[in-house]
Amino acid sequence: MTRIDVQDLRKEYGSTRAVDRLTFAVEPGRVTGFLGPNGAGKSTTMRILLGLDRPTSGTALIGGRRYADLVEPLREVGALLDAQAAHGSRTARAHLRALAASNRIPVRRVDEVLEEAGLTAVAGHRIKTFSLGMRQRLGIAAALLGDPSVVVLDEPSNGLDPEGIIWTRELMRSLAREGRTVLVSSHLMNETASFADHLIVLGRGRLLADTAMRDFIDSRIRPRVRLRTTEGGRLRALLLGKGFDPVPREGGLWEVEGARVEDIGPIAARDGIPILELAQEEATLEQAYLDLTAGEAEFASASTPLNQEA
Amino acid sequence: MSFPAALHTEWIKIRSLRSLVGSLLAVPLAMAGLSLLICGTLGRPVPDSTDFDPVLFSYYGLSFGQLAAIVFGVIAMAGEYKNAGIRISLAAVPNRTLFYAAKLAVVGGAVLVVGLVASLISFLGGQALMDRGFGIGIADPGALRAVIGCAFYLALISLLAAGVAAVLRSVTGSLSVLVPLVLIISFVVGDVSQGGGAADFLPDRAGQRILLQHPSGALGPWSGMAVLVAWTALAVGAGWWALRRRDA
Repeated sequence: MTRIDVQDLRKEYGSTRAVDRLTFAVEPGRVTGFLGPNGAGKSTTMRILLGLDRPTSGTALIGGRRYADLVEPLREVGALLDAQAAHGSRTARAHLRALAASNRIPVRRVDEVLEEAGLTAVAGHRIKTFSLGMRQRLGIAAALLGDPSVVVLDEPSNGLDPEGIIWTRELMRSLAREGRTVLVSSHLMNETASFADHLIVLGRGRLLADTAMRDFIDSRIRPRVRLRTTEGGRLRALLLGKGFDPVPREGGLWEVEGARVEDIGPIAARDGIPILELAQEEATLEQAYLDLTAGEAEFASASTPLNQEA
Repeated sequence: MSFPAALHTEWIKIRSLRSLVGSLLAVPLAMAGLSLLICGTLGRPVPDSTDFDPVLFSYYGLSFGQLAAIVFGVIAMAGEYKNAGIRISLAAVPNRTLFYAAKLAVVGGAVLVVGLVASLISFLGGQALMDRGFGIGIADPGALRAVIGCAFYLALISLLAAGVAAVLRSVTGSLSVLVPLVLIISFVVGDVSQGGGAADFLPDRAGQRILLQHPSGALGPWSGMAVLVAWTALAVGAGWWALRRRDA
């Protein structure tokens, strides 16, 4: 089992601080979503993790070792950083073969990952003829080449078609089920909510949250119940007495903030109030995220002009 | 991380890019082609001239061959930096010294091989095509030295180019430094056989001393080659320093 450990990491470019005293761990066996707006320091952190950028201070270790000290790194860590980085004039197969050779990965793995990524038919085509979605698939194929126990993907669903998005989601989930460590950055909330078990949220290079996704949402967004009844007035009075505040909505619907269906159902049943519809409204990751970033006043006002992704 | 594995990767990278295969093959094609053409048509001393050097004469096409070698070295190295592709390469081979050494070994080795072919064809073919009586054999003084020296000259020039490219990280930027340094200045200053002055210590002029049958002046064939080695070491060293120090 291989953990990623980031400890007191700092990266400064001149006077800009891209990563600021960042400490977190990524555990195996689950998908960890790495969230934050553009320029929050996600890509910088990933580049430092892969030994490409040098931190100003602090460490980023994989299984207790620096990436640069791994003997055949592709066999331990697979990464997709930028789908555009592969040389456009090479064929997909040649690109992967060159990577495989450096880490003495058998050539058959090249065909296996091409197949897995659905690129077998275009394996002999030049990468510059690929759409962004196909390049993402190739980048993910490259990440899987060495059958690594750690997978790091930077914005993998960027440019993918719906089918590709489902494919990456299922892939990440199955990698985690196999006990691998999976770190996936994104700035798309709904997308992240569909695959992540755990969240690490950055803003301006600092850690804003490191928590299970469910806890993250529940701790920030109060639950809400939506219901329909024939006796709205009676139910409202009843619920007000129990400390809830039902608000009428159009179409005869009521919404109750801060309540769960388990709270409302029994109350209505006890007084024989007919309930036509009763549903829990699940808070979304997006709502929780916006709540978090709104709380970071400095972050919210300064996040726009700050862009150190380059 | 093993050096043979890194070499294998660099070799796959070169042979899988048309621009690299093309510029590599252009070394013998351009150089030998032009050399043979000139030897066949103009291969005789100019009357009243005493400085006809039959060995140097069969390397008339060298300027074109070395241009191809420069382009090859630059594309092989600077091509890595296109769209930050270097990140993929360094993620696979995080030991930057190993990556750099493998890249240079493959670049220099490939040019050495095609350079030797180009050199042999230029010399043997050129001498055979010259006017009867002026052509010499490979056993004649300075001939074998020139044939082998030319291959090393081309390999060193391609490494010099790759070193500059590792510093500048751009194909156009590197060529705009190298073409004036190696090609234009010498054309402007004059023929390599007319020795004299600081221009002798330019990388191409110093390195080409080895092509003269009877070199005279400050630099001999081997000391000239040593000057080129020094230039190459400087560029390669600067490239190594830049690659190790900078963020990828």
